[in-house]
Amino acid sequence: MTFDTLRPLVLPLAVTAAALVVLLADLALPPNSARRGKVLGGLTVALLSGVLVASFVVDTSGLAAHGAYVGNAWTTFFARLFLVAGALGVLGAMEHLEAHAPRRQGEYYTLLLFSIVGMMIVPGARDLLLLVVAFELMGIPLYILAAYAKTDAAKTRKVSDPARAFDAAEAAKAPHAPAAEAAIKLYLVGATSTAITLFGLSLVVGMAGTTRLAGLFGAETPAPITVVGMMLVLAGLSFKIGVVPFHMWVPDTYEGAPTPFVAFLSVAPKAGGIAALVVVFLLGTGGHPGHWTLAIAVLAAASMTIGNLLALPQTDVRRLLGFSGVAQMGYVLLAIATGNAEGLSTAAFYLAAYVFSNMGAFLVLHAVAADGGTHDLAGLAGLSRRSPFLGLSLLAFLLSLAGIPFMIGFWAKLFIFLAAYRAGLVGLVVLGSVLAVVGLFYYLQVARAAYMVEPTQAAAPRVGGALRAAILLCLLAAAGLGLWPAPLHESASEAGASLSNSLSTGTPAPVSPGDDSQ
Amino acid sequence: MTLSTSILLAAAMFSVGVYGLLTRRHAVAILLSVELMANAANLSFVAFSHFRGGATGQLFALFALAITVAEVAVGLALVLLLYRTYGDTRTDAAKELRG
Repeated sequence: MTFDTLRPLVLPLAVTAAALVVLLADLALPPNSARRGKVLGGLTVALLSGVLVASFVVDTSGLAAHGAYVGNAWTTFFARLFLVAGALGVLGAMEHLEAHAPRRQGEYYTLLLFSIVGMMIVPGARDLLLLVVAFELMGIPLYILAAYAKTDAAKTRKVSDPARAFDAAEAAKAPHAPAAEAAIKLYLVGATSTAITLFGLSLVVGMAGTTRLAGLFGAETPAPITVVGMMLVLAGLSFKIGVVPFHMWVPDTYEGAPTPFVAFLSVAPKAGGIAALVVVFLLGTGGHPGHWTLAIAVLAAASMTIGNLLALPQTDVRRLLGFSGVAQMGYVLLAIATGNAEGLSTAAFYLAAYVFSNMGAFLVLHAVAADGGTHDLAGLAGLSRRSPFLGLSLLAFLLSLAGIPFMIGFWAKLFIFLAAYRAGLVGLVVLGSVLAVVGLFYYLQVARAAYMVEPTQAAAPRVGGALRAAILLCLLAAAGLGLWPAPLHESASEAGASLSNSLSTGTPAPVSPGDDSQ
Repeated sequence: MTLSTSILLAAAMFSVGVYGLLTRRHAVAILLSVELMANAANLSFVAFSHFRGGATGQLFALFALAITVAEVAVGLALVLLLYRTYGDTRTDAAKELRG
């Protein structure tokens, strides 16, 4: 195996190396050093930024691993998206980890990096084996990270005093109790979806006799057993993306898991799931998804409707953003239901916009709650007067999520509606626009709490430097790209076109001497 | 034993797993049910491979085994965390979050 066959995979490989570097640095640093967290977090952010810069320099296009992986503009776009989300997620979590898990910070960053490696491979996978392995590499670290609110102090207390650990009522009041529940829920949903996807794939792969995606079920009328298999795969992936009717874990996990982690969980793995869905359903059908677009359109309509309506009565902003996330994924599925290059581009653009807006909103929420506040609407009361910076940021992120000009979210929604309209999905566009107005109502309810309600306390929440930087970066991206969306739009268009091109040319799967696929 | 009976057996195993997943309240039992579902997939992979020739299915089953083992390792750790937190591994104990 020469370097050339691995060149398209160089970005995920670099992140793997980064994960190992952080792991070793964690071992090398003295355990009780006060600067430990800053060094590890800073190192992780620096390494991720380095890989991000490299993604602009290194040419990663081409086939790798005997055609099991294809690098093109589509994979580069998603790689950058995951790197940015990862860096923002690390910045946002640094102070939280230092305060709550000082001895396990290195593990947090390492697991996060491994999850990012999995995400980066998914969009370019052309072989189901690689896709499944990468998808699980993305998912398994997330289960561990969701349980991370458990503090080191609580752990030692329980070990030294076992009698107390069994007092369930007492234990349930501990601050980490919801995290344990959130983690087990995320895990059970994830493991179930993996099992469902695997069973579906076993039927599809068994009928096709190959694991190569290109034309896996290309026949005009697939065998009934293949259809059943694909339904199961679609259901399994829908669990991961969190769309109706497989969405009930989303608000619960968002409410229970540590908020800086939720900021990452709510954007990056969703983008990974969408990428997997696109790869399986567009490439597997050889670019003619046919009636599968109908199934995806139904999921889109259900998600937009149920997500937006269930978000309305929520008072806990984490749950509100959870249901709103269900709705937002509905819009992305609407773009995918078009099944053409323009739709794919707008989906990629939407996911990028969603990274900045949703992560930003969760990070502001975390900043308020971390300093003795709460995650509900009352906790945000008078935020604009307590801290103009946080208030303004929150307003910007909410407007972006709602799709108000001229935030980045506005362009994202506009492009999706235009693409869907051109593809003839007029009914869904009308439904989506109406529901966007419903969305505006609950987003502005949060903004109202921050701007119109009298503050219950005067002091501004203390916000650490790293968290402040993460929020500022999100704000700059959401507002800056909103005023000048051209660069992002251009690279998203390139990404969609490159995936679409690899379809129309039939994705030549070169049979090299070492290729052992039957 | 033909291909279709093997697949039917796998589908039955999968259904039993789904049933257990929906009715069991004990975290370990739920984990076992999910395992049953994953192993139904493995059975069907191997059955296709056996009756239709080729090693693809067996290869996939090996990968699937490795993945589910990694997943179960994390799952059992989380069950342990649930036990330390609530002193119980029935999922009823963990109902602080709505839904």
